[in-house]
Amino acid sequence: MLKRTDYLTKNYGKPDGWTLAAYEAGGGYRGVRKALMMSPGAVVEETKKAHIRGRGGAGFDCGMKWSFMPKPSDKPHYLVVNADEGEPGTFKDRTIMEQNPHALIEGCIIGCYAMGAHTCYIYVRDELHLSKERLWAAIEEAKAKGYLGQRPFGKTYEVNIFVHTGAGAYICGEETALLNSLEGKRGQPRLKPPFPAQSGAFGMPTTVNNVETLAIVPTVFQLGGDAFSKLSALHHLNDGGTRLFGVSGHVKKPGVYECAVGLTLRELIFDLGGGVLDDRPLLGVVPGGSSCPVHLPDEIVNIPGERFEAYNGKCILDIPLGVDTFRGAGSMLGTCCAIVMSDAVDPVLALQNLMHFYRDESCGQCTPCREGCGWLERVVNKIVAGEGTMAELDQFHEIATNITGSTICAFGDGAAQPALAFIRRYRKNFEDYINNGAATQTRSLSL
Amino acid sequence: MPSFKLDGRDVEFSPGETVIEAARKAGVDIPHYCWHPGLSVAANCRMCLVEVGPPPGRPALMLNVLEYDAEKGEYIDAKKPKLQPSCQLGAVEGMEVKSESSEHVKRARAAVQEMLLLNHPVDCPICDQAGECRLQDYWLEHQSTDKRMKDETIRKPKAQDFGPTIVYDAERCIVCTRCIRFSEEIAKDPVLDLRDRGNLAEVVVAPGRELDHDYTLMTEHVCPVGALTAKDFRFKARVWFLRSSQSICQGCSTGCNAFLDYDPRDQTVYRHRPRENAEVNKFWMCDKGMLDYRRIHENRLLEPTISGKSADVGAALEKAVELLKDVDSDKLAVVLSAQHSNEDNFALLTLAQEHLGSKALFLAARPSGPADDILINADKNPNTAGATAVCGSTPPKSFSELLTAIGSGKISHVLALSADVEEDLSPLSDLKALVVLSTHDVGLAKAATVALPASSWAECDGTFVNEKGASQASESAIKPQGASRPAWKLAGAIGMRLGKSTPWKSLDDFRGAVNSDAAAAGVDVGVQPGASA
Ligand SMILES: Cc1cc2nc3c(=O)[nH]c(=O)nc-3n(C[C@H](O)[C@H](O)[C@H](O)COP(=O)(O)O)c2cc1C
Ligand code: SF4
Ligand code: SF4
Ligand code: FES
Repeated sequence: MLKRTDYLTKNYGKPDGWTLAAYEAGGGYRGVRKALMMSPGAVVEETKKAHIRGRGGAGFDCGMKWSFMPKPSDKPHYLVVNADEGEPGTFKDRTIMEQNPHALIEGCIIGCYAMGAHTCYIYVRDELHLSKERLWAAIEEAKAKGYLGQRPFGKTYEVNIFVHTGAGAYICGEETALLNSLEGKRGQPRLKPPFPAQSGAFGMPTTVNNVETLAIVPTVFQLGGDAFSKLSALHHLNDGGTRLFGVSGHVKKPGVYECAVGLTLRELIFDLGGGVLDDRPLLGVVPGGSSCPVHLPDEIVNIPGERFEAYNGKCILDIPLGVDTFRGAGSMLGTCCAIVMSDAVDPVLALQNLMHFYRDESCGQCTPCREGCGWLERVVNKIVAGEGTMAELDQFHEIATNITGSTICAFGDGAAQPALAFIRRYRKNFEDYINNGAATQTRSLSL
Repeated sequence: MPSFKLDGRDVEFSPGETVIEAARKAGVDIPHYCWHPGLSVAANCRMCLVEVGPPPGRPALMLNVLEYDAEKGEYIDAKKPKLQPSCQLGAVEGMEVKSESSEHVKRARAAVQEMLLLNHPVDCPICDQAGECRLQDYWLEHQSTDKRMKDETIRKPKAQDFGPTIVYDAERCIVCTRCIRFSEEIAKDPVLDLRDRGNLAEVVVAPGRELDHDYTLMTEHVCPVGALTAKDFRFKARVWFLRSSQSICQGCSTGCNAFLDYDPRDQTVYRHRPRENAEVNKFWMCDKGMLDYRRIHENRLLEPTISGKSADVGAALEKAVELLKDVDSDKLAVVLSAQHSNEDNFALLTLAQEHLGSKALFLAARPSGPADDILINADKNPNTAGATAVCGSTPPKSFSELLTAIGSGKISHVLALSADVEEDLSPLSDLKALVVLSTHDVGLAKAATVALPASSWAECDGTFVNEKGASQASESAIKPQGASRPAWKLAGAIGMRLGKSTPWKSLDDFRGAVNSDAAAAGVDVGVQPGASA
């Protein structure tokens, strides 16, 4: 169901749309005023009603996560914003930081208040220069207005926001690696438990949220949690509201589109994305960032459980993009930024590109990921170079299977799942490289 | 005590313990690389993965994976349970843990093992760790298949000098971070860390630093593979030719429990390394203590001397007796040694008090030195407490007091067990006779009228009392070197020649005598008859 909204995007593309004045003219900084009139506990409850599923990729309920924070004590609490956005194919958070930074600032104030935090760190990938600039400017504007500092909106509840720049490692988007990096340590994931709510930044209770997760929170307080959730066609699955949908690759109009949850891949590709470039047939779609499995355009889903009966028997392109619908279908919603490949793409090269990324970005901490990602890349590299063998191709899924579930953080699965999905769906292309010679292949990654 | 099931068997645990810890106490070794009972949990090797049954009434967490049906030429969707690292997993009452009994676990371990060896040079023939390497042991136990990845491995720096004692081979490193955690957590010097990421990761020394804290050799011992090797041991011996005796370190009064690794064929000690003792040294030893073994083969007094000239044992004993017999007992001093065992000290004391009638007791000792709050004690002698205790109610005076007494003419004859004393020994030239039982050719032995070669702690069993009062048995490794004999036997032989029969024929007899005499004197020197032979 295609239902476009503009809660986050109304000022996108407008001159000076990122300024405080533009934000307030569009109704900004009203949600936070409402929230600050409530008790922190009530803010958490209202947020739960909104059913915001974490926009960082894991899809965990935002209000629920906030409720895990311990009661205020003499320990400082922290809110940390994950603005590392490093997942290939994902480019939605930067649009918020560049074009609507005050929505994030407002969301941070509400989040801090709800969780007893007075300090918020926004961890931004270093190369997002415009994002940093706009965030710094927005913080200055908000400070000048007194929205940040000792008494935001007249309420005696100090909130300060700091931008911290990372060095641009994908793994520093994993929340505990991010916390290590924030503390000045090597950016590698921590063991869990303890979870950040128990021991996060500097060992203190911490919540890490994605940029978009927080930026939509002010809207929740403007509309009311329940009303916000009901904007979604998946309200009954506790997957509420609106979100940013990205589409890139072989579509005519790649970009970020704000819609109510319930949008399908077909709508995203054909209605919003304008269809496949050159009107070629679709080879495959990765639903939400490179760590998700790739799907063929004619896959039929069969999700176990009564709640999902309505979707069964449908094509994967026609079921609503939701956390549980896609998980149930054996896929993953991830960041909800789809990568579209037309039949001009050589899937072998596409996988090579991905495996190169994962080999390069693995933090190297745990054995299956450190060695497995390198091995996966090596096999694909050999196949592409015309040196691969059938024996190696037959080992490929085993390597990925052995990585799956055996690692410290979700990076391992994030590398293994696309590997399994590509080999399962395009094995023939890999065999062609081996049997007919690499020179006979199309060898095209883009149009 | 609460318990959980491990492969169907009940394993008890104390609250807060992890599955691997509880299993270890129950005598079950879950395979592991990165976990070390004395270090924090890193859970990075993933060798210790186990399958855990879901909580009652909940489905197990299953993951989507693939199998390949080669006959049909198609992939089949498959599921596997999410495995847990037992080194990180807290034990919970009633939990069902499968280790050896799970096919998923077997496969995961074989996979980890295969991946650890993927870029490993497998240069075992020139690696010092061979024979005590976990990669070798676990390959045999958990993988046993040929290498599937047949291409060139990733090349990394080899034989990197990390400091005065340690050499690093990055290609052999499995990035378990034990050495890093050891330096930071135990040696309190975070001098090591990782650089780079993915399969290019390697251990590095902090810029501008060397790996030069007081416990650098421990990094080699915690390293489960051949990535860190000790310069002292490199290329000297193959561990499968070595045997180990349970010794007590002689480096200071902490009395770390240790192994002396020796080759029985050439009767040579090659290494001194820690032996676990929760009360004394846990899993650790300091570099000085470990390297102290070298003294076993250095600068030894291997034959008796009379006035500096070599002599045979019989002649030297005769000469000693001649010098000591009929001496005015008030002018005869006896020197015990804080570096010798209770046995040696007791034998000398018996000779002095019962056979020679001397009452002037002194104690020779190494001078004190630096200490830390980890293991190293300022008292550099292994048995100050024991040598003092054997004396009972009249503790021995210091060695410098002896020198003063000699200078003032009060003492003219001395019978001594040697130690590495640092005092100026020139007053000794005033003596009429100096009989020394010495392991090494040190100052006291050089100044002696008669020097008799004593066996070092590596060559005879002995008991040492550490600074906390724990008496600990140390086992001999090699045979007495040269003409040396245990000092207690030499003391007994002098006694015999003085016409006093000593009833001790064996170490057990002798230890019985030590204990009953000590008990009569109201002290406990903790020498155990039959403790070791
Ligand atoms: C390898 C890896 C990379 C990740 N990168 C990001 C990222 O760039 N941005 C992000 O918001 N979440 C990222 N995540 C997810 C975070 O760990 C975390 O779940 C998220 O920030 C939580 O925010 P949310 O609950 O608001 O979604 C990553 C996770 C993994 C395993
Ligand atoms: S799974 Fe990969 S990225 Fe995550 S901790 Fe392990 S090595 Fe690092
Ligand atoms: S050098 Fe040894 S102890 Fe250190 S990380 Fe490598 S394998 Fe582990
Ligand atoms: S022993 Fe290394 S992960 Fe548990």
